[in-house]
Amino acid sequence: MSRSSYLQPDTIALHTGYQPESDHGSRAVPIYQTTSYVFDNVDEASSLFNVEQGGHIYSRITNPTVAVLEQRIAALEGGSGAICTASGMSALYTTFITLCSAGDHIVSSAQIYGSTATLLRHTLKRLGIDCTFVAINDQDAVKAAIQDNTKMVFCESIGNPGLEVADLDAICERAHANGLPVVIDATFATPSLCRPIEHGVNVVVHSATKWMGGHGVAVGGVIVDGGNFDWKESGRFPELTEPYAPFHGMKFWEEFGPSALAMRMRAESMRDLGAAMSPHNAFLLLQGIETLELRMKQHVINAHELMNWLNENDAVSWVNHPDLETNETHEVAKRLFPNGAGSMLCFGVKGGRAAGAAFIDALQLGSNLANVGDSRTLVLHPGSTTHSRLDAEQMKAAGISEDMIRVSVGIESIKDIKADFAAGLKAAQRVAEAS
Amino acid sequence: MELQVNGVKSYAATGGKEFDSSLPTVLFLHGSGMDHRAWALQTRWFAFHGFSVLAPDFPGHSLSAGEPLESIEAMGEWLVDFLAAAGVKKAHVVGHSQGFLSALELAKNVPEKVMSLSGIGTAAAIPVNPALIETAQASAAKAADLMLQWGFGPGAQYGVSAVPGMQPIAIGRQIMSGNPLATDLIACSNYESGSAVAEALDIPTCLVLAGKDRMTPLKAGKALAGLMNAQVTVLPIHGHMLPVEAPKECLQALRDFISSRG
Repeated sequence: MSRSSYLQPDTIALHTGYQPESDHGSRAVPIYQTTSYVFDNVDEASSLFNVEQGGHIYSRITNPTVAVLEQRIAALEGGSGAICTASGMSALYTTFITLCSAGDHIVSSAQIYGSTATLLRHTLKRLGIDCTFVAINDQDAVKAAIQDNTKMVFCESIGNPGLEVADLDAICERAHANGLPVVIDATFATPSLCRPIEHGVNVVVHSATKWMGGHGVAVGGVIVDGGNFDWKESGRFPELTEPYAPFHGMKFWEEFGPSALAMRMRAESMRDLGAAMSPHNAFLLLQGIETLELRMKQHVINAHELMNWLNENDAVSWVNHPDLETNETHEVAKRLFPNGAGSMLCFGVKGGRAAGAAFIDALQLGSNLANVGDSRTLVLHPGSTTHSRLDAEQMKAAGISEDMIRVSVGIESIKDIKADFAAGLKAAQRVAEAS
Repeated sequence: MELQVNGVKSYAATGGKEFDSSLPTVLFLHGSGMDHRAWALQTRWFAFHGFSVLAPDFPGHSLSAGEPLESIEAMGEWLVDFLAAAGVKKAHVVGHSQGFLSALELAKNVPEKVMSLSGIGTAAAIPVNPALIETAQASAAKAADLMLQWGFGPGAQYGVSAVPGMQPIAIGRQIMSGNPLATDLIACSNYESGSAVAEALDIPTCLVLAGKDRMTPLKAGKALAGLMNAQVTVLPIHGHMLPVEAPKECLQALRDFISSRG
């Protein structure tokens, strides 16, 4: 069970948010491929627009297929509600822009996905929102970075690609003591491995494109409102406590309490920003989520086998995974991820960048591409792709080295993955010996 | 809005519009451990359709200060003072579960102020298992879990929600965990005069009952209806948490009943 369902996660993943509908008895969740919904009468239309009742108006704001996915993910995470968006990045942008206005400030972990860092460092800055990057497990640094205009502490539960595990309990304690919510990107973990809300996190964001879907055929994002932050007590969020003119002066916190943030996002950001998830993508992501629990178990098993195998390979200079004792946050990982800290691992190939390139180019099974969380094994050189916009100092702060190869370990037979990597390492060794 | 009741700060939701005592008033009363948010999907409709709305948090609940009231009778007395503080001369009164018991007491105390009485998911008596009370005394969150497992019907347990994307169980859990649930449950359990008060009423009454209600079973609700000669609507597939679980159906029944009485 989670905080929002008394069913077990495997059952939630298959059933929550949908019961066979009365008209046709469809067992699978139908795809409501429609832009809009016929109102019974003018009075009902008016009631829907004025939030006097729940229901669907226009698929930019809500859609029945998307709503099933939202309710399912909210239940898996234990949140009071969820909003699905067109991508993980739009989920982050929606979260930041809902909670922050010009003149506000965010404290963020330095070890985060390159595009998120760019959003915080450059795009939001253009809108007057500043960000201070810190080593997120250094609680003194977090404390020192908090300002009067700070609106949140942001981090990834497992940093990309440095694989630093954020100590959620400590971060939440520090943030909450300062009246701040903690927003987390939990893409690398999924609720199958860690439910951040149970550690005090207030908003959980995912790129559903990744492990949630697992098939690599649909881009999507989701924001889960933990429903566990007192926006009024904080005193920092007039967006949620003061009247909102476009809805007859609605005060979201007073009217909706634990779902205030999700309701505000729905009413404002989905309406104004328009980053809606398509019903077809929601359907595809639902197909993935049905097997999330099974897949994550196998992802972790394969990741552990591969990291141990790489660790013993002479062509490899180092291996990093939170479940390795050499990872600086290993003890935190053991506490927060008792069933394994995901299936991302990084390693360095002896011979530097050229050997690393030879490794990647020699792979047949592993795919060289800019994605993670596919059921297939994926590899990437972050220094020349996802994090290429960072300068040397920022790269170091983000935990990236020139020789780093990032692996999203798939659920193919581990025997075949090892064979593929053995061929890649042989190619890398040839380059290393020639140089 | 905030108002002082017997010198204590009290909060009442007004459905998104300023309270206007010149309009017919509808008073919404929440159940054990809950607050005004139980009525989020009923209050706005009334407030925007010619009524004024008050959905108070009982003392010590959510946005209202003060000590929680220890008996249903005390709640009924507090409601008399609350209506006076708000300047309400007459009101249609709607109560969910325990909220209806306190509405009965209000109607007993000041029948001239109650234009109609509506009960949602309720009965004349709501006995509470002592084990649940003990659990609530130790941990409101644990008791809330037990109650929500029983309280929501099968659809809600499978995550079906009247508001797209929302999880009513989590919302209920969050609210109930922070409120004086044990005090409310004891008050409910100790209240024994519901049948007598209901039978003596001479006020138009309406009940909305749930076929899958495991906290105030349909049979008990129908018995109450018989005592009051109440108009009854039965929602067969829903559970006890009707205002949240079946908000549209509840609203429809209430607006039909209350609107017909002006």
